[in-house]
Amino acid sequence: MLRSASLRLAALYTAAFVAAVLVLGVVTVLTTRAALSRQFDARILSESAALVQEFRVEGLTGVSQAVQERDRTPGALDYGLVSADGRAIAGRLDEHRAIPGWSDLGLSQPDGERERIRVYTSSLANGYRLLVGGDDESIEAVDALLAKRFLLAIGGVVMIGLLGGYSLGRGMGRRIAAITGAAEAIIDGDLSRRVPEARGGDDLERLAATFNRMLDRIGALMESLRQVSNDIAHDLRTPLTRLRGRLEAGLGARPGPAQVAAIEGALGDLDAILSTFAALLRIAQIEGGARRAAFQRLDLAAVARTVVDAFAPSAEDAGQRLELEDGDPVFVDGDRELITQMLVNLVENGLRHAGPRARVRVRCRVEPGGAILAVIDDGPGVPDSERERLFDRFHRLEASRSTPGSGLGLALVAAVARLHGAEASLHDAAPGLEARVVFGHGGRTLPNPNLTVSGS
Amino acid sequence: MKLLLVEDDEQTGAYLKRALTEAGHAVDHAASGRDGLLLAAGETYDVMVLDRMLPQVDGLAILRTIRASGVKTPVLLLTALGGIDDRVEGLEAGGDDYLVKPFAFAELLARVNALARRPPTQDVQTNLRVADLEMNLLRRTVTRGGRRIELQPREFQLLEYLMRHTGRVVTRTMLLEAVWDFHFDPKTNIVDTHISRLRSKVDRGHAGELIQTLRGAGYCLREPD
Repeated sequence: MLRSASLRLAALYTAAFVAAVLVLGVVTVLTTRAALSRQFDARILSESAALVQEFRVEGLTGVSQAVQERDRTPGALDYGLVSADGRAIAGRLDEHRAIPGWSDLGLSQPDGERERIRVYTSSLANGYRLLVGGDDESIEAVDALLAKRFLLAIGGVVMIGLLGGYSLGRGMGRRIAAITGAAEAIIDGDLSRRVPEARGGDDLERLAATFNRMLDRIGALMESLRQVSNDIAHDLRTPLTRLRGRLEAGLGARPGPAQVAAIEGALGDLDAILSTFAALLRIAQIEGGARRAAFQRLDLAAVARTVVDAFAPSAEDAGQRLELEDGDPVFVDGDRELITQMLVNLVENGLRHAGPRARVRVRCRVEPGGAILAVIDDGPGVPDSERERLFDRFHRLEASRSTPGSGLGLALVAAVARLHGAEASLHDAAPGLEARVVFGHGGRTLPNPNLTVSGS
Repeated sequence: MKLLLVEDDEQTGAYLKRALTEAGHAVDHAASGRDGLLLAAGETYDVMVLDRMLPQVDGLAILRTIRASGVKTPVLLLTALGGIDDRVEGLEAGGDDYLVKPFAFAELLARVNALARRPPTQDVQTNLRVADLEMNLLRRTVTRGGRRIELQPREFQLLEYLMRHTGRVVTRTMLLEAVWDFHFDPKTNIVDTHISRLRSKVDRGHAGELIQTLRGAGYCLREPD
């Protein structure tokens, strides 16, 4: 329990409060004492002044009568009237050494104890002296009372602090234990475990919610990893089996053209397997997001032109047409190499699945939603229900299972789009399919920085 | 040519050394980064082939060290599969070319040959010439046997690259990188299509075929025997 951070914090706060109350107490006692002393002194002074006045008006007899009268009044101050030769004429205070002004005297009590009193001595005519004083016992009593109350208050603060800290610590401790417990359970393999989330919005609740979101994300990643491993195992089994078959056939064949053909076929299979691996690793690396540092301003239309120029002759040879719409520059910030590969994948996809005599158009322009890069074919298209799943790794339409391709082309497109904050989607081009990538940030035509820098 | 091969995998190193030797090169093979660095800094080579990932001192460190000490030997870096950032990093460190493992040996050989320094010529070349094929780099014109050949800009680039590597094997990947700036392998064989179009313009109607296809390796532009 003592190792609990919240309890330590509570103890620390309690100590701080105790110190604060102590300081407050000392200041209060001192201030009160000073105020009471001043008041007491003022009372003595005003009594002295009154008796001095009495002496002036009524003479010695008058003042000694007044003193005797006051001596009999309970709760009054102490008085004394002393002659020039030190003889006590009236009152309890018979201190004959008293000199004019303030002094502290010891006075013997009837019970034998000595009492300290504060005295003001005034000189009267003919060497008479008037003493007025009193003990400041009442001030000390108030001091003592105050001190006692403050000690009680400190006790209360300590109690409240410790109790509060304890219950706070227990509450916090329980909630932290819940998080720790969930983490331990996950370490032990229960990946579905989550931290209980109560409503309320304090920082610990938010921590629990964040923790759970993190776990969901990790869970999703684990699931996708598991699925990818399964897919790899499943999708590579076929080419690996074929490779093995070819190698066996080559081993059995007599040296000559048949063996060379078998080895060449095996190399082809191996290259296909390696390219699948390369694509997977590339997707993983793109999804890692490290490439974003290499972003630069680039013209999508120029990329589109390069790709169309590169692929148009092969398309033509296959009886298809590949065309580029529009021609104005469209600037976005991105990775030229990856955007090029993305467009190549889309174009190859279109040419491969749209069939012979197909017409494939590449569109690149700025629309209200942002810069768009689209590849539109007039082939058979894809059923609505299948479109979204085509971006998954290894997902292929049943109809295209027999055609070459790793099923990773569109997964790479999706990964590159995500890296650029763009959205890749498939649409019905009626007839045919439109694969569209929308770069939200290229909503307007960005200026080409090269034009302003070079100044040529 | 005298080559330095720094490759830590024993089997790959031995196989590459044998194959490069069979191709007529003198090969020093270092199996660790430290030995590689000693050889690279101490001996003179025509081309160095450095594996990026090496124990102790890696390929990039060797490259940076020798470049810092003024060694200008062309360097071909071998990088791991899928490392798409490796190329940029390798070229920035002073590499001249890169090749992703695993690769076809023909690809390695073609790139090593392409990297080797040509005999010194005039600094600014304005004309390339192979047999009766002539290219004017300033006027961007091509003639064969005095007759003008009209080429698309990309075809011109393709022919220029081939002519600059006259007599050497040029692979599809090298052309994809140099002419189209594609650093990946498209599924479609676009290079063959472009080469056959170029060939129909350059070779059709002429006695000798200049652009030759080498099965399993690539292309070569050379004077017919």
